[in-house]
Amino acid sequence: MVDFPTRRRGIAGWISYSLRLELLLGVISIGTIGLLWEFARPLGIPVFSNLPPLSEIIQTSTQLLVSDQYWDGWALSVQRITAGFLLAQLIGVPIGLFMAMHRASFETAFPIVEILRPIPPVAWIPISILFWPTRELSVIFIVFLGAFWIVLLNTIGGASNVDPNHRRAALSLGSTPRDMFWRIILPATIPSIVTGMAVGIGIAWEMVVAAEMVAGRTGLGYLLWQSFEVNAIAQCIICMISIGFAGFVSSQIVRLFGSYVAPWQRQR
Amino acid sequence: MNAAGRAGALSIRNAGKIYDPEGLHVVALEDVSFDTQPGEFCVVVGPSGCGKTTLLNSIAGFDRLTSGEILLDGGVLARPGKPPLPGSDRMVVFQQGALFPWKTVLWNVTCGPIKQGRLGKKTAEVEARGLLARVGLKGIEDQYPGSLSGGMKRRVEIVRALMNEPKVLLLDEPFRALDALTKSVVQEFLLELFDEAPKTIFFITHDIEEAIFLADMVVVMTTRPGRVLKTIAIDIDRPRDYRVLTSERFVRLEREVREAIHDEARKAFEAGERELA
Repeated sequence: MVDFPTRRRGIAGWISYSLRLELLLGVISIGTIGLLWEFARPLGIPVFSNLPPLSEIIQTSTQLLVSDQYWDGWALSVQRITAGFLLAQLIGVPIGLFMAMHRASFETAFPIVEILRPIPPVAWIPISILFWPTRELSVIFIVFLGAFWIVLLNTIGGASNVDPNHRRAALSLGSTPRDMFWRIILPATIPSIVTGMAVGIGIAWEMVVAAEMVAGRTGLGYLLWQSFEVNAIAQCIICMISIGFAGFVSSQIVRLFGSYVAPWQRQR
Repeated sequence: MNAAGRAGALSIRNAGKIYDPEGLHVVALEDVSFDTQPGEFCVVVGPSGCGKTTLLNSIAGFDRLTSGEILLDGGVLARPGKPPLPGSDRMVVFQQGALFPWKTVLWNVTCGPIKQGRLGKKTAEVEARGLLARVGLKGIEDQYPGSLSGGMKRRVEIVRALMNEPKVLLLDEPFRALDALTKSVVQEFLLELFDEAPKTIFFITHDIEEAIFLADMVVVMTTRPGRVLKTIAIDIDRPRDYRVLTSERFVRLEREVREAIHDEARKAFEAGERELA
């Protein structure tokens, strides 16, 4: 129960009051959805009544969360995300920096980028299966593609928008071309690279799920689809929630990494 | 102040700059000539677009002239065909500021002398802490520039420039973005530093009061094409503080500069209107 303040209690009192209020409202909203879900069938609520009730999902999860299949799915999806995403950084960031710094390379490569980029990574799945010797590699390739374009474009954008006065100041202070890259252009580009990573990791999870559904034999995305095929809807929903949770944790990791490599942006 | 033999004699001779000579042919500077003594505080005033910044960039080595030349202590800094070359003997304080946001204040102000191999890290840091304290910025050494106020950033940037012991200090409307009160405080810090160790300063502004308050010599420039309209010696004793702003001599000089610049400002305004129309 919330007791509404009848008199001023100072700032600390107000904060603890509003935090309790926030918590209460959060519990009410989630609790309401939970209840509607659980009693959707007897109440005849549309859409929700097609789903298994919440209690069944909790019950299924006690079995699924101890199974090897589920945790192997996690491990494999995380591996594919890690490989594809890191490859996108390792290839996208240097190419982006190079394209931003050398006009000719930009003019040469940008038309290719503009032709290939609008193709949704999912559309690459068939070609990818043909092209790569194993399914594993094709899934990683799709994840890579999902993150690559956004990383590339953000890196190019960041590196070509370095403040000209920073360059000038650096020249006056005596910097060599080497210093100019490592001490000016690269740090000036880091915030854009981190933004690219934050968007890229989200797309990477979308891609790993799609690719596993189509091309995989394992992974959370495959487990999700397989559960649907055998009509294990509760299991299907648990997979969905798991993937959402994985995406959330990945975003937090990217954010932590961002505040580690760009500490000067922390206060903002 | 005009001690013979001290470095920092800037000599601008018939300097001219035409942007896009084959196409638009915009004459930014035309036949600009004046000299500064070593240790002289020279302020250039003029309406927007009169080529002040072009002149400063040519001195700094960011831009090249299309005619004439600029000398520093007899050595050629700029002449047509000579590739522009920035150097630590001519440090610039920029209008929008150019502290490196990804490095701490201490790193920003010490990187120049350390990079040039003129000072060791320890010595540079001791010197930097001293100078920062001198302008009222004790204890901010480990902060990032992003967390400082506008007035603090400007002072840090002046300290960064001075750490390189430049022969000429170039300031391009450095206090433009500051509010009036902060501006007067930062101006006084700059004057204190200047009085302690006078060095040639080339300062650009379009604030007439600021120009007279700071300068030994005010150069009034015309609107495009930028030419020298008048140079006015400011014979107000140093050290100066806010009280001189209301002195009779100050008001008389201010009127002199204002009269010189008024017609030019009007021309620049009308030219701007035409460009918009």
